[in-house]
Amino acid sequence: MRLSFLNAERRTLMPVHRSRREPTVAELLLIILEGAWSIVVGLYVTFINFWRTKVTDRYPHRDPALNWQPRPGYRGDFALITDRETGKLRCIGCQQCQNICPDGCILVVPEGKGKERHPKEFYIDAGLCMYCGLCVEVCPADALTMTPDYETATDDPRKLVRDIDYLRERGMEYDEVLRVQ
Amino acid sequence: MTTETRTRTEELTINMGPQHPSTHGVLRLVVTLDGERVVQVIPDIGYLHSSMEKIAERLTYQQYLPYADRYDYLNAMGNELAYVMAVEKLLGIEPTPRCQFIRVMMAEMNRIASHLVYFATLGNDVGAVSVFLYCFREREAILDLFEAASGQRLLYHYLRIGGLRNDLPDDFCAGLGHFLSYFPSRIDEYDKLLTKNRIFRSRMEGVGHFSAEDALSYGVTGPCLRGCGTDYDIRRADPYCVYPQLDFTVPTFEECDAMARHLVRQEEMRQSVRILQQCLEMLPEGDVSVKVPRRIKPDPGEAYARVESPRGELGCYIVSDGSEKPYRLHWRAPSFYNLQAYPVMCKDAWVADLVAILGSVDIVLGDVDR
Repeated sequence: MRLSFLNAERRTLMPVHRSRREPTVAELLLIILEGAWSIVVGLYVTFINFWRTKVTDRYPHRDPALNWQPRPGYRGDFALITDRETGKLRCIGCQQCQNICPDGCILVVPEGKGKERHPKEFYIDAGLCMYCGLCVEVCPADALTMTPDYETATDDPRKLVRDIDYLRERGMEYDEVLRVQ
Repeated sequence: MTTETRTRTEELTINMGPQHPSTHGVLRLVVTLDGERVVQVIPDIGYLHSSMEKIAERLTYQQYLPYADRYDYLNAMGNELAYVMAVEKLLGIEPTPRCQFIRVMMAEMNRIASHLVYFATLGNDVGAVSVFLYCFREREAILDLFEAASGQRLLYHYLRIGGLRNDLPDDFCAGLGHFLSYFPSRIDEYDKLLTKNRIFRSRMEGVGHFSAEDALSYGVTGPCLRGCGTDYDIRRADPYCVYPQLDFTVPTFEECDAMARHLVRQEEMRQSVRILQQCLEMLPEGDVSVKVPRRIKPDPGEAYARVESPRGELGCYIVSDGSEKPYRLHWRAPSFYNLQAYPVMCKDAWVADLVAILGSVDIVLGDVDR
């Protein structure tokens, strides 16, 4: 490029006058010329960027199929995985997720003893949740998982409380999504 | 009799903020003006106070880690690193070499991302709006890499006590290498847009003068201190992780003004690119995590770990009483210390310079109030 003389080494093309002294006519001319030149340089950079690929998305006012897809392992909305063979939830109702949650936004009501133990109720308040993923990591049965779904905005805070039916449905929907670890 | 003696003038006290767009958060500045000159500035903080230190006392060591991300939200990996290092000091755990390298990579990538936000908002404040768009485009590339590694884009919760959440994904190194291949030329573009710009230089050069003695007595660290010509960087002064093995320079500028602080950050981004390239070459194979007990119960004692955050010395001080929860946790938040020097920098400034000086200090209000 012909603009190579503007490299970083020549940082002071012209000393800036912040002194009380009025600049002479020659200095004033130089300042004006330098200001004009810096505008040219700035426009040159913006001109280069004019030809680069666009990065701005008109989300959500466009085709949803083009939406950004998170990588596997993204910590989005919750799901409870159903075991395909038995047709039951994998969750054993051990309440470890409830105990580790720093926000205290999980409530598990277990039922049954021993092998029969399963959750009767399972609530996650996604409005309180900070998506740290500790509950997913601590789960011994690999039952609780996080899906790549990030579009969880709603107009009613009560809709953010996930119950067991919602989580089961989500688990069926995202069954093929692999667990993070 | 001249007009000066006949005209009666008085000082005017106005509020700048807490909703002013260039206060980068919610900061209220009580500014006393004499005409266009600034007589006194009093920062009024506390609008974002979220009792981050008190919360730690009711949570276990693992549970507090996601909170560590949240107060300086532009440097989440650095906060995690400080906290994790302090807990590991308490427990006497030494992480694996691969884990150390990845931690350094994450911290440096976050430094670049944080400085890009600084460039963007500073350019926006002093009237160079296009820089904002370009910086955020580059930052997006880094956030994509973070998302691939940790599963989140801003508040990562990626580091763990004794290791990491998971190893890097397979294509991470290639993606980072691609980013590093084009990013230095982008820094040159910002250089052309900002440092070469006559208007930007007139607004930045010579304003916010602040001597090195003042900086040291106020406890100012980071780029604000290095812009005063003092060569002090935690990565050199008290090396942690694998920084002793890496070759980089600590840029300093002697001018003590807002422009010097700006140029320090620009050079730091170049140095971070160098560090990342070396890390990619030297990244060893192996495990990323060591075994830690599920219930972390350190012996009674105290630990202080400090890292160089994009804003200065970030320290985490933990007192343990032998239980599962910290007895006391304190953050040495760099923005808080840098902000208290702001009134000194604004002495005899014009009112229009206030925004440029505040931008050059680069505070994060979540970090100030925590």
